[in-house]
Amino acid sequence: MTSFIKKLILILFVCYLDLRLAAVLSQIYVILPLTFLTYLLYLYKSNNNIGPFESFFTGLFIDLITNTYLGHNAILFCFASYVVNTYVNTFKLFSYLQICIFFGLSSSAFVGFSQLIVNLYNFSYLTLLISTIFNIVFCLLIAIISVYFPGLFGRRI
Amino acid sequence: MARNSPKPSEKIIYFLVILLGILILYTDINTKKFVGIKNNLYSFQISSSFIFNRAIIESFSEFIEIFKSKEKLIIENNLLKDKLEESYLKNYIISKENSFFTDHNSLINSLRENRLNGDFFYAKLRSVDPNMFSCCDKHRLFLEIIDEEDQSFEESVVLNSTGLVGQIIDSKSYQEVMLLTDIKSSIPLIDSTGNFYCNAKGGGKAGYIFCTFSQLVWTEKHEINDPFFSSGLGGIYPKNIKIGHIASINKIDSTSTVLKIELINDPLKDNLFGVLKM
Repeated sequence: MTSFIKKLILILFVCYLDLRLAAVLSQIYVILPLTFLTYLLYLYKSNNNIGPFESFFTGLFIDLITNTYLGHNAILFCFASYVVNTYVNTFKLFSYLQICIFFGLSSSAFVGFSQLIVNLYNFSYLTLLISTIFNIVFCLLIAIISVYFPGLFGRRI
Repeated sequence: MARNSPKPSEKIIYFLVILLGILILYTDINTKKFVGIKNNLYSFQISSSFIFNRAIIESFSEFIEIFKSKEKLIIENNLLKDKLEESYLKNYIISKENSFFTDHNSLINSLRENRLNGDFFYAKLRSVDPNMFSCCDKHRLFLEIIDEEDQSFEESVVLNSTGLVGQIIDSKSYQEVMLLTDIKSSIPLIDSTGNFYCNAKGGGKAGYIFCTFSQLVWTEKHEINDPFFSSGLGGIYPKNIKIGHIASINKIDSTSTVLKIELINDPLKDNLFGVLKM
C-alpha cells in the first residue's frame, strides 16, 4: 500500500513537472516527455518484471490526469514495458551511452506517436528532430551526473 | 533477482492489453464516450482544489495577512511618532528662532530642506541609561546624527521639543551628550530682570541644576518660580532660551546662596533631537 501511494505521488509530481517544463521547452521546439522517461527508468531499474496490467493502468491514470485521449499513454507505457522486459538482460551488455541513446530514441518515439495522436495537423519534423537530440543529451547528462555525483541520486543509475 | 524476458503467454497478454488500449483510444477519439468520466474527474479536481484553497491556503494566507497588517500598523505608527516628534522639534525651534538664527530666511530654507541652516542636524537617540539618569553623577545620552556629514560635532548644543538638553562632548561613532544635570555640566544663566548672572551646575539630580552665588556680589532678591534663561555668555548655548525656574532657595551661610532651578526640559521625552552647531 505504501509503495502504491509512493508511486501515485511520484506520478503526480512528475506529471506536474512535465506540464511546467513543457510550457518553457515548447518555445524552443523541444518536447521532453519527462513522465515517460521516468517510467522507462522505473522499468529499467525495477528488480521484477513490470506486468502489462500495471503499465496499462499507470498509463490510463496519467491519461486521466493529463487530459489526453484515454489509452494514449496506456498503449505506449505498455509497449515500453514489453520492450524493456524483453531486452532487460541485453541492456546489461550495453554501455551507458548506448542505454542513453535507447532512452532518448524511445522518448522521441513517444513524442512522435503522441504528436500523431494529439497534434496530427501540426506535426513537425523539426520539433521531433530537436526533441530527439535534446532527449538523448538530457539522458546522457542524467547518466553523467549519476556516475560522477552518485550522492545526488543516492546511488548510480 | 534475475529478470526473464516475457514468455509467449505473457506476450499474448501484452498484445491483448495493447489492443484494448487501441480500442479505448479509438473509441475516445471517435465517439467521445469517455467525456463523462473525464468531466467528472475534472469537476472533482476543481472542487477539491477549491476546497483545499479555501480551507487551507486562504485561511493560512489570511493568518499571515493579519500578522503583516499588524506589522504594517506598527511601522506606520513609529513613522507617525517620528514625524510628530520632528514637528514638535521644529515648532520649538521656530518659536525660538531669534535665539538660534540671525537670519529668518535661513530658518525657512533649512526647514524646507529638513535641515536647519547647514549647521543644524537631526539626531536619533541611540542609548541612554535611565537608572544612571535618576541616581548618579554622570548624565549622558548617545545620539546618532541623521544624514551625518564627516565633521565633528563637539561642543554642539543638543535640544529636543522641551528645550535645551545639553552639549556634545565626544564625537566619535556616536555623539556623547553631557546633559545639563551632569555633575560636570555648567551653563551660564540670567534671570528675567537681566541683572543677575550665574553659572548653573548640574548636581547629578534629574531635573535640577544648581546656581551658587555670593550675596555680597549679587544683591538681587529671588523668589520661588522666578524663571531663568540662558545668557549665551559661555559661547556654547544660545542666549534667551528658557531653562527653568527656581524651585528652592538655600542660604548656606551669610555669603553663599544656592538656587535650585527646576529644568523645563525632559531629555527622556523624545527620541528625536536637534543638534545645533553654534
